[in-house]
Amino acid sequence: MIKVENIHKSFGFKRVLCGVNLEVYDSETLVIVGSSGMGKSVLLKTIVGLVKPDTGSVLIEDINITKCSSSDLHLARKRVGYVFQEAALFDSLSIFENVAFGLRTLTSLKEDEIKQRVRRCLEMVCLNNVESLRPSELSGGMKKRVGIARAIAYKPRYILYDEPTAGLDPVMSDIINELIMYLKKHLKVTSIIVTHDMKSAYKIADRIMMLHEGKMIFDGRPEETRQTKNEYVRQFVEGSTRGPIVADKNF
Amino acid sequence: MVLKLLGNENLPEGGRFPSEGIENFFESSESMKRWELFRKSEIKVGLFFEKAKKATGSIVSFLEGLGKAVKMTMEMTVYIFKGGISLKDTALQMVEVGWKSFPIIMVTSFFVGMVLALQMGTATISFFNEPVYLGMIISFCLIKELGPVLTAMVVSGSIGAAITAELGTMKINDQLDALYTLGTNPIRYLVVSRFLACFFMLPLLTVIANIVGIFGGMFIANYLWDVPSNIYFSEVLDFISLLTFLHGFIKSFFFAMVIAIVACHKGFNAKNGAGGVGIATTSSVIYSMVFILISDYFLTMLLTTLNVK
Ligand SMILES: Nc1ncnc2c1ncn2[C@@H]1O[C@H](COP(=O)(O)OP(=O)(O)OP(=O)(O)O)[C@@H](O)[C@H]1O
Ligand SMILES: [Mg+2]
Repeated sequence: MIKVENIHKSFGFKRVLCGVNLEVYDSETLVIVGSSGMGKSVLLKTIVGLVKPDTGSVLIEDINITKCSSSDLHLARKRVGYVFQEAALFDSLSIFENVAFGLRTLTSLKEDEIKQRVRRCLEMVCLNNVESLRPSELSGGMKKRVGIARAIAYKPRYILYDEPTAGLDPVMSDIINELIMYLKKHLKVTSIIVTHDMKSAYKIADRIMMLHEGKMIFDGRPEETRQTKNEYVRQFVEGSTRGPIVADKNF
Repeated sequence: MVLKLLGNENLPEGGRFPSEGIENFFESSESMKRWELFRKSEIKVGLFFEKAKKATGSIVSFLEGLGKAVKMTMEMTVYIFKGGISLKDTALQMVEVGWKSFPIIMVTSFFVGMVLALQMGTATISFFNEPVYLGMIISFCLIKELGPVLTAMVVSGSIGAAITAELGTMKINDQLDALYTLGTNPIRYLVVSRFLACFFMLPLLTVIANIVGIFGGMFIANYLWDVPSNIYFSEVLDFISLLTFLHGFIKSFFFAMVIAIVACHKGFNAKNGAGGVGIATTSSVIYSMVFILISDYFLTMLLTTLNVK
């Protein structure tokens, strides 16, 4: 269970998160949607402790990662995998070393087990024969998938995906959706997925939340988003230009 | 009404848009002139505050950066003493440092030795009618000052810049964050090896630079001023004691720390994309050069009082 309580975060004078609460139950798939620039990535980074919130706490099971010892933090890292929006592969290492990185630092697997696991993870995201390449030799979508393979390789209990299907073709997006569902079914993985892709959101989500102007304005099952009276959610789900969400509010 | 919309209450009488009529609109009427004057004075005051704010802002951010660098250094020291050293990475970095700067250092220090011989030869001839003490003066200058400082300059411009650019790129591509999520501290994984590589390679490079420089000096002393090389070398050896050597050697360890820490710190705090990495790299080189030259004075003072001279 991941529990986020009353998170506030501003960058200088810019308030990004103002009192976000959320709770993810075990082996649940939570999809977070929201307009661009609303702080979804910041929220995910806060959950893994990459961004320090101004106030509030983040619980990963029994560990409060906003204030805990470094050994506890290491333990929490073992439990959580993070897929970066821009892949964030280590460009001085080969693809194999990228995927194996977490296995070396977070597990005590032997070299041949690592080889096995890396191959298997790359297969799951439909990549073959790329182990010896460098990240700069891959396309954007391929990098994204290596990022996913790297995050799932050490079998974390929780995986946070920052737009896993952005930049992938429709077929590949669906493969990733199925991978997320597969991990949930067989490994009881709990996922938090930030996405703009409502089609995959409906396919994978157990619950959908919407972040708007620093607060969670909606929390409900996927069907509920279609019936809700909330104008913001309605507009977002329909992808309409008419409604209360103003595209250029930031500027 | 119009003025209210534009949100400007302090306009002088007549306002921004004088009422003379549209035909005068683009000519500067009396009230427009007053408006211009008013605006200029306002800009001046505004500019002053802007500058004052910028100045205090940069002092604050400098101190903030200093604090961060100190914190990073302490964390790094803890990792080094707790045994968080990857020998393989450190060896790789040492090869990198040596390999990249060795050729430049050979060339520059040879020429520095040559120019010293040229200058000192000319100077001593004008005083004593013959070149004297060339070996002594050249080895003195090289071993105590020019060797350590110039080698540090070259290394900061090549290795320091490379470190900042590499770490800065990792930072803006979220790779440092990725390291964290994979249970690895970037300071331990990236800084320790780079720091140790600089720390051990710079003094070594300095010694090489000294030797090459002394040979460069000998070359000119011999061919231009007809100083026999055995006299030149006996002067060098007479003059250099262990303490003289240590004076420069100790300084080069310190310079290595400055280069590595500044470079890693600037890289870790790069922001705003590719341009930001460029800015970080430039300021890394500038800061380490300035720190090296300033600390050189104080280190020399300290070492001299401690009788290491
Ligand atoms: N390190 C930072 N410094 C300053 N401002 C930041 C920083 N990180 C994020 N922000 C600001 O926080 C806001 C939210 O950013 P975030 O990346 O979380 O948006 P997002 O919801 O993920 O958008 P998208 O869907 O486009 O990825 C943005 O307006 C951004 O300007
Ligand atoms: Mg984002």
